[in-house]
Amino acid sequence: MGYIELDVLDNQPKRIVIGIDLGTTNSLPAIWSNGRPEVLRVEGEPALVPSVVHIQEDGTAIVGRSARARSLEDPEHTIHSVKRFMGRSLSDIDQADLDRLPYQVSETERGLVQVEVRGKKLTPQELSALILREVCAQASAAMGGAEIMSAVITVPAYFDDAQRQATRDAARLADIEVLRIVNEPTAASLAYGLDQRKEGTVAVYDLGGGTFDVSILTIEEGVFEVLSTNGDTHLGGDDIDAVLMDVLKAEIGEAIDPAVLADPAFRQAARLSAEKTKIQLSSSPEADLTLSLPEHKIHVRRRITREEFDALIAPLVKRSLDCVRRAMADAKLAPSEIDEVVLVGGSTRVPLVRSEVEAFFGRKPHTELDPDQVVALGAAAQAEVLMGGSRDILLMDVTPLALGLETVGGAAEKLIQRNSRIPCSVKEGFTTYVDGQTAIDFHVVQGEREMAADCRSLGRFKLSGIPPMAAGMARVGVKFHLDADGILTVTAKEESTGATASIEVRPSHGLSEEEVETMLEASLANAKHDFEQRRRVELIAEIGTMLRHSEANLPVAREHLDRESVQDLEEAIAAAKAAQKSSELDEVQAARDILDRATMPLATVLMDSVVKEAVAGKRLGDV
Amino acid sequence: MISQPGRQPGSQRNSQEGAPQGLCPSCSAPLQTPLACGSCGVLIDVSHDEPSPFAILGLDVTFDVDAKDARKRLRRIAHKVHPDFYATAGEQQLDLAEQNNALLNRAYEILVDDVRRADWIVRNFGGPGEKDLGCMHQEFLMEVMEWNETLDENEPGSDEFQALEAELQAERKHLIESIRGYLTPLPDPKTPEGALALKDVRKDLNALRYIDRALTRVSGLPAPL
Repeated sequence: MGYIELDVLDNQPKRIVIGIDLGTTNSLPAIWSNGRPEVLRVEGEPALVPSVVHIQEDGTAIVGRSARARSLEDPEHTIHSVKRFMGRSLSDIDQADLDRLPYQVSETERGLVQVEVRGKKLTPQELSALILREVCAQASAAMGGAEIMSAVITVPAYFDDAQRQATRDAARLADIEVLRIVNEPTAASLAYGLDQRKEGTVAVYDLGGGTFDVSILTIEEGVFEVLSTNGDTHLGGDDIDAVLMDVLKAEIGEAIDPAVLADPAFRQAARLSAEKTKIQLSSSPEADLTLSLPEHKIHVRRRITREEFDALIAPLVKRSLDCVRRAMADAKLAPSEIDEVVLVGGSTRVPLVRSEVEAFFGRKPHTELDPDQVVALGAAAQAEVLMGGSRDILLMDVTPLALGLETVGGAAEKLIQRNSRIPCSVKEGFTTYVDGQTAIDFHVVQGEREMAADCRSLGRFKLSGIPPMAAGMARVGVKFHLDADGILTVTAKEESTGATASIEVRPSHGLSEEEVETMLEASLANAKHDFEQRRRVELIAEIGTMLRHSEANLPVAREHLDRESVQDLEEAIAAAKAAQKSSELDEVQAARDILDRATMPLATVLMDSVVKEAVAGKRLGDV
Repeated sequence: MISQPGRQPGSQRNSQEGAPQGLCPSCSAPLQTPLACGSCGVLIDVSHDEPSPFAILGLDVTFDVDAKDARKRLRRIAHKVHPDFYATAGEQQLDLAEQNNALLNRAYEILVDDVRRADWIVRNFGGPGEKDLGCMHQEFLMEVMEWNETLDENEPGSDEFQALEAELQAERKHLIESIRGYLTPLPDPKTPEGALALKDVRKDLNALRYIDRALTRVSGLPAPL
């Protein structure tokens, strides 16, 4: 596994920058190593980190696989798919989606979504920060304990400004420096292009757990140039699950008690059953949707054929292809002009998705790269470029949505068109509307619609201090700058009199600077506590494994060891069992160490016997 | 009294014309773009005097631009100014790279799009803005009303739509050719003929805006979300 390169000159470890795919369902770290990107995983463990957070009774969080393991037994305190709430207000979310959640959500005073669990209110940014920390912990463990400080983090290409800001804030809360926000399909194309060494025009179709993106690119001499992108930040595997959950509900029938529908246990069991059936249907022609909740007298088994499933999800696949058509039109290309089609995201394992994409482009999509890993691998490659490792690779990306200002009458005046290359700057002159006007309200919006009210509101700011003059005389220069992360800064200046003022916009659907600061302080204060909790949980798990082995082999110990060693071992086992319930890290650590020492004589005996068995019956020459 | 901002009449997005490229302020090598030196690699701050899109790509101001050549130039200059290559160079250099890459991107987008390029030339030669009165062809308005009827009365995919799409595409081509005629060679805005030519280009551009919107409707593409 990886090691840390040392800079001989100053003896400081080289700064480690990793790529992180922060997904709706799963997240994954990767790093550039020996000339290629590689996934960071602990040997013998799965690579993917489930994007799931479980809040324990004592208020501490566990994240990842162990959190997902709790989702069925304790759904109310186990949060999944939080990415769908990033940079969103409660009114942006469909009621039907809320009705399927096993956990409680509410909104902050400013209308932001927050999750309520065990009396704690957690924003999507804070929950994502917990996931990012877990991902970094895995990366760190995979590299023998190296500390991760910087990362390239991927987001759906169709994420708007508020969603990108929210992702950046999450990283800040996790104490990670974000070197770059990269679009997922762009990252995927990078991994694909480097792996397959192919050039030409490429379409990346990325259907993940909660979001859909399509990007059309050209790859030529190491330049990865995005021509257009389109998507739907609310279309993914979760929506396919929802279709099957509706089948389950219909099967239970009209008579179902609304209280049952609201029961987190019901919601979670239905969700997991739907997900399981969906996965089965990718490889078998039919599967059973089952739901068994004895406490509600619910026992359902419903057979679903591939044909029926295909018909149910056809509208979702059509929605994705509508996005593909828009992207193709913006790139001014016909499907026959696409040289390669790359599938990304776990949901592209669904056979209907594959066949429809193939039919649309008239060619077989590429599936050589693991659709769950390709985004993280691309992010790692981009990290290498940013660290100065390569000038041979260049990503040129675009912004997915137009950006503009609301003008008199409520129209959205677009300063930056969709699919403009980033970074991008536009200056535009505005003026006053009535005589003596001393201030102008600016309303920054993002979206394709003509009226500002139909676009996403990114923020409002007021430029005051304009000297009174006749209408139309003031000269206010407004500058929009979209940086390479796709994040917007707006500044405004009154130029005619030399009086200037400039304002930077924070999205109205994001956290304010003060909120981030407060959360950061709280999380830093918690960092030590969190770390100790984490270590304690790991040690208890380790004790569990050690106990199983040593108890199973107690008869061997009693047969082969001296009385004192056996007594030490028995005492250590008893102490370790007690320590499993302890909340003090020191006690748990001490018990583990004592048990470790006490099992050494036993381990020696076991090793000897293994060797003896292996050698038994063999001549010396065979050994 | 506070209200929404109004558009400032005659506001211009760019005001500079094509300028000579000059020498690198750092190593004195001749520059191919005012944004960075191809020889020593230094980024050059041009915020006090923004070069024209043509100058940025090292081209003379003309209506016709070779798209392939422009793309090559874009890539070559992007390798000098893209922020990816300045991620660890400190905030000041990174900001400068952001700024120069933004100028480069915008220049390229104007130069490879017939409509935006023509619009840039009309604005920067002192011609009328898109909202100036009298910049619409009278006969075109009649055609527009007929097209609108076809659009309202038929469905995407129908024969009528297909016929209309062909008609719109032909009209588009015709208008671009008309603009090319007015702008080749570039008119002198100080002469009455030149000023008239710029006004005619503006009329054609306004017609094109309508045609492009109608073409989106005809294509049957699903409306934006």
